[in-house]
Amino acid sequence: MNSILIIIGKIIVAVLRLFKRNAGNLPGIVLWHLTKGKCCKMFKVDCPIIAVTGTNGKTSVTNCIAQLFEQNGKKIIINKEGNNLDTGICSLLLRHCNISGKVDADYLIFETDESHVPVVYSQLKLETLVVLNFFRDQLDRNGEMETLIQKINGFCKTFEGNLVLNGDDPNTARLGRANEKNKNVKYFHAKPYAFATESIFEASEGRFCPFCGESLEYEYYQYSHIGKFSCKKCGFGNYEPYITAENIDLEKSVFTADGHKYSPQLNSIYNIYNMTAVAAAAKLYDIPENVTDNVISKYTINNGRMETFMLGDRKATLNLAKNPVGANMTLRVMNEMQTEKELLFVLNDNIADGLDVSWIWDINFSVFDRVTRVVTSGTRAHDIAVRIKCSGYPAENITVRPDLDEAVAELAKTEGRKFVIANYTAVQPTRSALKRYAEKHGGKNE
Amino acid sequence: MSKIKILHMYADMLDLYGDSGNMEIIAYRCKMRGIECEIDKYSIDSPMPDFSAYDLIYIGGGADLEQQHISEDLVKCRNGIEAAYKNGTFLFLICGGYQLMGKHYRDADGVDIPGLALFDYYTIAEPNRRKRCIGNVVIRTEFTGKTVDIVGFENHGGQTHDVKTPLGEVLYGHGNRTKSRHEGYFEKNVIATYMHGPCLAKNPEISDYIIGYCINRNSDTVAQLTPLDDKLENDCRQVMIDRLLNK
Repeated sequence: MNSILIIIGKIIVAVLRLFKRNAGNLPGIVLWHLTKGKCCKMFKVDCPIIAVTGTNGKTSVTNCIAQLFEQNGKKIIINKEGNNLDTGICSLLLRHCNISGKVDADYLIFETDESHVPVVYSQLKLETLVVLNFFRDQLDRNGEMETLIQKINGFCKTFEGNLVLNGDDPNTARLGRANEKNKNVKYFHAKPYAFATESIFEASEGRFCPFCGESLEYEYYQYSHIGKFSCKKCGFGNYEPYITAENIDLEKSVFTADGHKYSPQLNSIYNIYNMTAVAAAAKLYDIPENVTDNVISKYTINNGRMETFMLGDRKATLNLAKNPVGANMTLRVMNEMQTEKELLFVLNDNIADGLDVSWIWDINFSVFDRVTRVVTSGTRAHDIAVRIKCSGYPAENITVRPDLDEAVAELAKTEGRKFVIANYTAVQPTRSALKRYAEKHGGKNE
Repeated sequence: MSKIKILHMYADMLDLYGDSGNMEIIAYRCKMRGIECEIDKYSIDSPMPDFSAYDLIYIGGGADLEQQHISEDLVKCRNGIEAAYKNGTFLFLICGGYQLMGKHYRDADGVDIPGLALFDYYTIAEPNRRKRCIGNVVIRTEFTGKTVDIVGFENHGGQTHDVKTPLGEVLYGHGNRTKSRHEGYFEKNVIATYMHGPCLAKNPEISDYIIGYCINRNSDTVAQLTPLDDKLENDCRQVMIDRLLNK
């Protein structure tokens, strides 16, 4: 039976490839239906599996961990395209298995969607789970995040493999108590950096101990609710770190972990946490220090700075704008182009964006030249629409689409040149949405 | 054609969190209705203007340092501004502008900056600079004759006391003081508030109250403003109200 399923899957992959379509998810969806939801169960995997999950940083950390092994001469399989649901992982394994379902590799390294951790790893044996962080986003209504944590916590109750947790995030650190018998729980931690604060920069939100309900006390906050916390009542948060990032200097872009100095390319506190997770995995698997150093110092992401995407035959340029200066620069580039064009502006107001969006009023939209249409998106899609309207731009040419996939589809539906501006936390989701559109409709990320 | 004359004071120094956007919004809403809107600027070392010649005087917000800096200049304008206010000129004041029209402002270091004492409230800045009132704010107002919930963004260390006629009741956020019940100060020709954002962006009723007041202040008849299509603004506000209040 297994062989028949695998042959069917492989045929679908081959046919999709023949038509030059991305086989990232569809074969898995078909098999998901044929197996009544157990599409990863048919594979025979003998090698260790490492999974990375969390709200932010999954792709970076997964890629870096994969490079640790690759540069150490191992054969790895990784879901690079970010197909991180059960169906995506199934599609990937179909391409790397033989007819009996045997997967040939030294390590499988999977970015895994938070909600799919229990689904995938009840079917495939997991050796190491890395959990980066859990943040609420605009989609978190009525405690969806808590439900998500409960799901993963349920999985951790019987998991006895390595559990690498962000010890500075109470939402992830709590998973370390799910299974008292698991001796392989490891916390990564970071000492305060220059912009750590004594109080949370978020005015009204209280954080409570998930075990006893007491208010958590923080020695410092790095950003959002990430920081050195503890519960004075039940002791939650008092753990011995497995690895600690210290001497963090973002100006020089350096930090040390386990006495070794690293110089990452991306100098944000978010990236320091990601790279500390990578260093933790390296320590766990005895990766030589020079290999780890090489991976951490070279890793960078294509980060949405004048990045070009093809949406079908329509060219779109994405630029990050964290402030009016950045946005005005993109407007200037747009105006220098002597043709009609359309703009998608994605505006979020997450904590890393500074909560407040009034800076958009310092962008000079009155210079708009031959901009025929504007689409707005993000958690503050309406605010940017109002701002552009009050600059004198006709309201009837503005379309508000808070959902990013809908916004990209709206932008791409007409012909012509496209520009996309996204603020800090909006830029990666926007890249993903542009890529998803390109995957579905042809086109590429150049 | 109707016309309103505006004096925007210290635009170069007091402009926090999009405060200058308020002037862009007033000008936009006038233009859409064919109302001429003339905006003059006044700052330190400008020649002394005839304050009473203006229908609207607008002052935005700034940091402690800027506030200290302009307060000396502002004192020189005291008589002119007071005469204009008594003559019916509308005062629209944000944050620092709000504080400086009261009796005094004590900054975070305990230094007293005298206000113009047009109104009898006063402000004391929270000495711990980390303890600021920061975040989105929703207040319920009645000043237009209807119940209108307005949304803005506050970021102030100042704690304003003795406000007898607030602008609205706080539904979300802090208001005049940390976790206080009321926000801002109101008289028929005064709106003073901690709301940035800018304040008028998603609250067209405030803009139109101000514009309507200015248009009618020298006339015996009450002109009705042409309604504008405010769908975007109203949707924008509703998204925030739903997010902040219906959790």
